[in-house]
Amino acid sequence: MSFIEARGVEFSYSPDEEKVIKNIDLKIEKGSYVAILGHNGCGKSTLAKLLCGILTPTEGQILIDGADTADEEKSFEIRKKCGMVFQNPDNQLVASVVEEDVAFAPENLGLPRDEIRKRVDMALATVDMTEYKEHATYKLSGGQKQRIAIAGMLAMSPECIIFDEATAMLDPTGRKEIVAAMKRLNSEIGITVVTITHYMNEAVEADRIIVMNKGEIIADGTPKEIFSEVEKLQSVSLAVPQVAELMYLLEQDGHPLPRGVLHAMEAADLLEAYIKGAKND
Amino acid sequence: MINAIEVKNISVIYGEGTPFRKAALNGITTAFPKGEITGIIGHTGSGKSTLASLLNGLLKATSGEILLFGENIWAKPKEMTKIRSRVGLVFQYPEYQLFDETVEADIAFGPKNIGLDEEEIKNRVRLAAEFCGLSEKELKRSPFELSGGQKRRAAIAGVLAMRPEVIVLDEPAAGLDPQGREEILSGLVEYKNKYGATLIIISHSMEDIAKYADRILVMKDGEIYMQGSVEEIFVQAERLFDAKLDLPQITKLFIELKKRNLCQSTDVYTVGYAKKEIEKIIAK
Amino acid sequence: MLKDVTFGQYYPGNSLLHRTDPRIKMLILIEYLVLVLVANSEIAALLSLAFTVFLIAVSGVRFGILIKSVKPLIFVLAFTAIINLFFTVGEGEPLLNWGFITIYANGVRNAIMMLLRLLSLVLGTSVLISFTTSPLELTDAIEALLSPLKKIKVPVHEFAMMMSIALRFIPTLIEETNKIISAQKARCADFESGNLLKRIKALIPILIPLFVSAVRRAEELADAMECRCYNGGEGRTKLKVMKSRPADYAFLLAVTVLTVAVFFLNNISVSEIINLCKAIF
Repeated sequence: MSFIEARGVEFSYSPDEEKVIKNIDLKIEKGSYVAILGHNGCGKSTLAKLLCGILTPTEGQILIDGADTADEEKSFEIRKKCGMVFQNPDNQLVASVVEEDVAFAPENLGLPRDEIRKRVDMALATVDMTEYKEHATYKLSGGQKQRIAIAGMLAMSPECIIFDEATAMLDPTGRKEIVAAMKRLNSEIGITVVTITHYMNEAVEADRIIVMNKGEIIADGTPKEIFSEVEKLQSVSLAVPQVAELMYLLEQDGHPLPRGVLHAMEAADLLEAYIKGAKND
Repeated sequence: MINAIEVKNISVIYGEGTPFRKAALNGITTAFPKGEITGIIGHTGSGKSTLASLLNGLLKATSGEILLFGENIWAKPKEMTKIRSRVGLVFQYPEYQLFDETVEADIAFGPKNIGLDEEEIKNRVRLAAEFCGLSEKELKRSPFELSGGQKRRAAIAGVLAMRPEVIVLDEPAAGLDPQGREEILSGLVEYKNKYGATLIIISHSMEDIAKYADRILVMKDGEIYMQGSVEEIFVQAERLFDAKLDLPQITKLFIELKKRNLCQSTDVYTVGYAKKEIEKIIAK
Repeated sequence: MLKDVTFGQYYPGNSLLHRTDPRIKMLILIEYLVLVLVANSEIAALLSLAFTVFLIAVSGVRFGILIKSVKPLIFVLAFTAIINLFFTVGEGEPLLNWGFITIYANGVRNAIMMLLRLLSLVLGTSVLISFTTSPLELTDAIEALLSPLKKIKVPVHEFAMMMSIALRFIPTLIEETNKIISAQKARCADFESGNLLKRIKALIPILIPLFVSAVRRAEELADAMECRCYNGGEGRTKLKVMKSRPADYAFLLAVTVLTVAVFFLNNISVSEIINLCKAIF
């Protein structure tokens, strides 16, 4: 059974409004790293809120580890399993001091004091913020605040964390910090990571990319597969990595180069081989 | 070439004379040529935003002077409003400044404060909305009903409506998707071309800067690290790399190709140009 | 405009005041307020001043921060002192009689007393509570002290949580207010000229965006808290359990003795004390 399963999900904020989410079927496996990519207003943030149970579908159902998000009785269980990091770093920190904020979730779970302490220390170490544990939250940089938000989730010990455009308000340094943290959570602790973004260079880091447009899923595959379809992405006003675009343009002009190239190094290797090959001919 | 703004030996120092002395800007000198787009890049805390607030007199420098078309902007402190209408400043996330009942009324806020007559205000609001891609229908709506991208455009229109000669924008496209970025930036270019205005765009996105700017100013630790035309800066792309700035991916590719002795140019920052360069190498 | 406000800001540290049980600190605060307001004779005022200096000294709060916290009040302080200086009609010969200005010895005394009292109130309360107690500790203390009211169904936990969040958001909202003011100034808004009505109207472009943003923040925070399993005070545990050590009680006792002493000394003048000393020796 998949960890998250959406079956025929539709959603609108009120009955007389247009549907924001249309007919979505989706399975996300435990331990995977999934990016949901789409332009502003394509419904990806709504989908994120549906996937962790903040919103419930108007049609269809979403199961998290087998529990229906519409089932009120299971909502506490679902929350514990599936955490969420939001876009605005300022609006998700509850306490004024770092470690007090990280302790918020385990305190709500009613854990014994020693266990809370252990979890807080572990969570802060994981996001590399231990030295800041007694600092005031409002003085931190955006990237640091988001790392505290992640630590706050980790202390809940969830199986999955959904990042709802968690890097959108950060500078490049902050963005790198958060992407690095996501990768570590996934590969080292085995947490299922779902990240909602419109930055394709962040989506590239995932194992799987789901592309959304107008409330629907229009593509689903590995980054390589997704970024091979340059026209399709451009048609829904998304960019592709520059090297992928370059290889695509060269291919269109009759140079037999592969599509879906994601990294500069990879492109350099391919171009080197191709240029040397062309010269030897 | 006429300089729209000249910055002469400007320093902004906090806590002078105390152990907490901190220089946000440390004696910088530069100029922004009329009719050009200058991109300012640099890390958070490099002093870019401080520089922006100095240009329209929201902040006063500890020392040095700022000349707007040769005139010191602080010559007549009582007429600061006039300077602010000539040098428009758009802050980061400007959508948080919207307040009026309709988008139209909100855009009219600036022109009204300058004291223009009704007819002129109406005229300017229409034009500003047009540059920012807002329709007649959207003008009549409440700004709080708009989508994120539309709000951003309404806020920028609010500054354009004052018809400034210089526009300083702090991260105008932050958080927007590629299409949203394109719409906003190209609207600004259109405005610039029509009125011969000068644009100063602060951005973290080297891709956007490379695409739109004529000149680049790189800031680091309150000082100017590099400045020059886009080509001049990108020829020294490795130096940008050393300053840990985020280079366009395509530039990184060409730095790597140069290391491997496959090509000599590093001033490649657009995909179109990159393609031509590669084809040249293959044809050789 | 608002950047000098230090109210509600916590400066982490490990001083005696930081370590004192916040509940005890709340009780000490009450005694302290009584002490400062009651002290009227020179000797009592001196005692209260000495205690304030002691509190400042043991708080470990940097001098610069104290100055900053007084700065916004300079006008009020000066005004009070001047009023007392010029408008106290004393007995005996005036010290100065210069046209319509008459200053009596009593006026000088009152001015100094009032100034010291206000300064003590601001600084003492700041170092005792806001600078050395994290907002969470503070609200925990209030919750604990008010907990008897839970029996009569007063929502003490909810009240304390609201207060803690309000304190957490003060710096954020101050920063936001400054940003909005700058943005409207950049649109040539004028906050400084015109009559009262015009000035009040000029605040609308600041207040509306601030209000809209506060509501948005509240909504997002509610989602974030829910995601972190917040379910009200029921079954919540705490990372930091408040513990009173014997030293805390000793501190409280000492302040109680001091307060009683001030009441006692209020009725004795300096000359009486000197006489008393002479009589003893």
